[in-house]
Amino acid sequence: MDVQSIAMTVNGREYEFSVGTRFGQVPPEETLVETLRRRLELTGAKQSCSEGACGCCTVILNGDAVPSCMMLTVDADGADILTIEGLEDPATGQLDPIQQAFIDAAAFQCGYCTPGIIMALKALLNKNPAPTEKEVDEALSGNYCRCVSHYHVFDAVRDLIGAGKEGE
Amino acid sequence: MKHFDYARPDSFEAASAVLTAEKGSEIIAGGTDLLGVLKERILPEYPSKLVDIKHIEGAEGIAFDGSTLKIGATTKLTAVAGSEIVKEHAPLLAQAAYSVATPLIRNIATVGGNVCQDVRCWYYRYPHEIGGRLNCARKGGDRCYALLGDNRYHSVFGGRKLKTTPCQKECPASTDIPAYMEQIRKGDWDKAADILLQANPIPAITARVCAHFCQDRCNRCESDESVAVSHVERTVGDYVLENAARFYAPPAAESGKSVAVIGSGPSGLTAAYFLRKAGNKVTVYDSKEEAGGMLMYAIPAYRLPKDIVRQQTKALAAMGIDFVLNTQVGKDIAPADLEKRYDSVFYATGAWKRRIVGLAGEELTTFGLDFLVEVEKWFSGRLGDDVLVTGGGNVAMDVAITAKRLGAKKVTMACVESRGEMPASKEEIARAEEEGVVIMPSWGLSKVVEEGGSIKGMELKKCTGVYDENHRFNPQYDENDKIIVQAGTILMAIGQLVDLSFLDEKYQLQLTRGGLIAVADDDEMSTSRPGIFAGGDATLGPATVVQGVATGRRAAWGMCHYLGVPDCKGGTWTGATRNAFITYDPDAAQKTEPSRLKELPAPERGIDKEDSSSLTREEAACEAGRCLNCGCYAVNPSDLSPALIALGATIVTNKREVPAEAFFTEALCISEALKPGEIVTAITMPSVKGAVAHYDKFRLRDAIDFAIVSVATILKAEGGKFTYARVTVGGAAPVPIRLTKVEEYLVGKALTQETADAAADLAMEGSLPLAHNAFKIKQLRTYVQRAIMRLA
Repeated sequence: MDVQSIAMTVNGREYEFSVGTRFGQVPPEETLVETLRRRLELTGAKQSCSEGACGCCTVILNGDAVPSCMMLTVDADGADILTIEGLEDPATGQLDPIQQAFIDAAAFQCGYCTPGIIMALKALLNKNPAPTEKEVDEALSGNYCRCVSHYHVFDAVRDLIGAGKEGE
Repeated sequence: MKHFDYARPDSFEAASAVLTAEKGSEIIAGGTDLLGVLKERILPEYPSKLVDIKHIEGAEGIAFDGSTLKIGATTKLTAVAGSEIVKEHAPLLAQAAYSVATPLIRNIATVGGNVCQDVRCWYYRYPHEIGGRLNCARKGGDRCYALLGDNRYHSVFGGRKLKTTPCQKECPASTDIPAYMEQIRKGDWDKAADILLQANPIPAITARVCAHFCQDRCNRCESDESVAVSHVERTVGDYVLENAARFYAPPAAESGKSVAVIGSGPSGLTAAYFLRKAGNKVTVYDSKEEAGGMLMYAIPAYRLPKDIVRQQTKALAAMGIDFVLNTQVGKDIAPADLEKRYDSVFYATGAWKRRIVGLAGEELTTFGLDFLVEVEKWFSGRLGDDVLVTGGGNVAMDVAITAKRLGAKKVTMACVESRGEMPASKEEIARAEEEGVVIMPSWGLSKVVEEGGSIKGMELKKCTGVYDENHRFNPQYDENDKIIVQAGTILMAIGQLVDLSFLDEKYQLQLTRGGLIAVADDDEMSTSRPGIFAGGDATLGPATVVQGVATGRRAAWGMCHYLGVPDCKGGTWTGATRNAFITYDPDAAQKTEPSRLKELPAPERGIDKEDSSSLTREEAACEAGRCLNCGCYAVNPSDLSPALIALGATIVTNKREVPAEAFFTEALCISEALKPGEIVTAITMPSVKGAVAHYDKFRLRDAIDFAIVSVATILKAEGGKFTYARVTVGGAAPVPIRLTKVEEYLVGKALTQETADAAADLAMEGSLPLAHNAFKIKQLRTYVQRAIMRLA
């Protein structure tokens, strides 16, 4: 019943952590965003509000976009996790189309919330490659941008979905 | 987050075993509520272990078996919101789940977690890091900060009581003060009187003389001044005496038992009342000419008019209580005879005996209590010009003020205590000083200065400390620091002793300990002799009137218990019922100044005339408006709970199945709704396919916000008329509420705007907006109307 170790896949790489309070171990109270940022140095996911309200810490966990600040790392045992760092092609360095669309539309200001928005969008498009505007609204409703970049975010999404449609 | 251990059991049984075995362990499901609570450390207690139930097989999933829809506790809200099965059989539940927070949260939040989540009140959630958590009433503290603070998202239907309020806790008689204040605000003086009488049958007396410990702990003291409980009580007490025939009615049936009460002071009168109420034949014995004990003889009439005491004893006599006066037990009737004649005997003989200090010349001084009892004898100017009163308690104050009013030119009061330690109430000290009594704190008695058998004064020695390191009364003196106070009369008010000489030797041996009658520590005031009970000063030493009342009532219960006589607790009031909402008056509560009694100006005060006059009923009601009726005024935050109540769902735990309505409304906190080791495992509900079922939620931001008001409705109509209605409201009251009146009204009514308007009016019934949240009621109206008009 007590958990000695946990394993998870992050961006295609497998990790195993010993659970406990000694140096180097993952204590039960560690959140997923802390593990990603401090242990794996995947600092794309940001810890901002720390209460699941802003979406800056969004990662994809077993296919769903989740706030990694409101999850314990021990709870992610066995999970397949994708962070913003896992989007680009590891061999060629080519960006994910969503990332490219954001650059093309300059869909960010300070950029702090952008990785979360992109991951929420990625989860949506994985499940639903041609969402309606309402569905995009809904999928991004848990992500906040204080620089008001979201108008450009919607521009980027429109470009992206439109481009996809043209390609069909 | 602070450290906690973590366990991941594979069954609910195993999870329950951990919860039961390990104190401080708590369930974690999705964690979206709990992690917020832990990160901000909003609760004084932090779990030592989290028990994760997400890995329990079979705990997640949605199934419909043809009649019942079942949703596992760890099913994610995203799954509920998107489930075709849920949309078909319980569409409002899918809507409610969809309305929760954000899609990101819903991807990890669970059904079980949603129904077990903690309130969102911002005072309750105030982070510990920012200046310390607010220990509100819901967290084991006493106050609700929303009452006088920002309450725009709080309840519009009143609060709920969580525990005994500090005022009631402080009252030795456990008077439910907020409950009777509430009845006064509602204009129901009879009910207010009933509540008061259930704790204390002599309110007109206690209101005038009680030390009112309740006011010291009133939550208002934190922001302005205590509610003037004593003044309000006084008006209720006067009301009770004005309507004595009604409030002191003889019992409906006789118990067939007879009891004797020895002593007619506060304790004896109280015991007599409760004993008589239970149907016993009660005989009260007193050695004095008139009933009332210290109330009649020791407390000066300017504080407690004799007429009030006489009215009170007359009212009690009219209940059928016999008063046998001028009769001294031990002289006129032996304790053994009492025992033979009565089925049970209660001794409340008080503390009337002089305490002898052993000073040189002490025999020339006068006992302060005798001075008060025989005050008429002193009318003729025997007092002299200079009077010294020794002692610092309320009796000493009464003695000093009485002496002053009898015409003494100079009254000096010396007590061993320092000013802050003086046992007298602040009001009495202030009154004494106002009338010119000179108080000398921290002076002990050394010797009487006499000349040829007449008093010239008293030598005092400086007291350096009253209590020793063990907090025991043990005054220390500086023998080198002495002064002489000139006085022709010395009145000794340094405490009274209990005189138990009326008990013969056999009884004394059996009943007494340390100069008092020893009683069992079982709240029934029984002595070591079966059937013999005791209370008041005889068991406590010199104490307060309200302690006499409290012990008298406990003894009456104990005696009824001993006699096998049922229910003498009296009255119909059983305290704030768990499901009832408590209310206060947000406008009147803003008044920071308490009402004050009208007092005679100092020069007009005398010995026989009462110094102050009672508040009128209107003034008392206004003061009752300052009572905040402390409880919790936060609202239930769950979106699923109102929907589940409307659906007639059942909460399934590892131990039982509970109807959703009972689960969400009977207990205020989830820690009370669930028994130890109990875990919500699933939720089941019947299908409402075919009905128009909706969950409407008002909030400012569509994502993340909790409901400011939500309305769950299930409606059916046929031929233009409603045939079925379920309406439940969330976010508006401490628990979700079912609007049964609206439901009953709707059935058979036409699908029209008039119907919707009338239903909306009914929905508002009993609402009580706080200072900043009247808008919620408007919103509630609109949502009820809208839900009804969907069918039109």
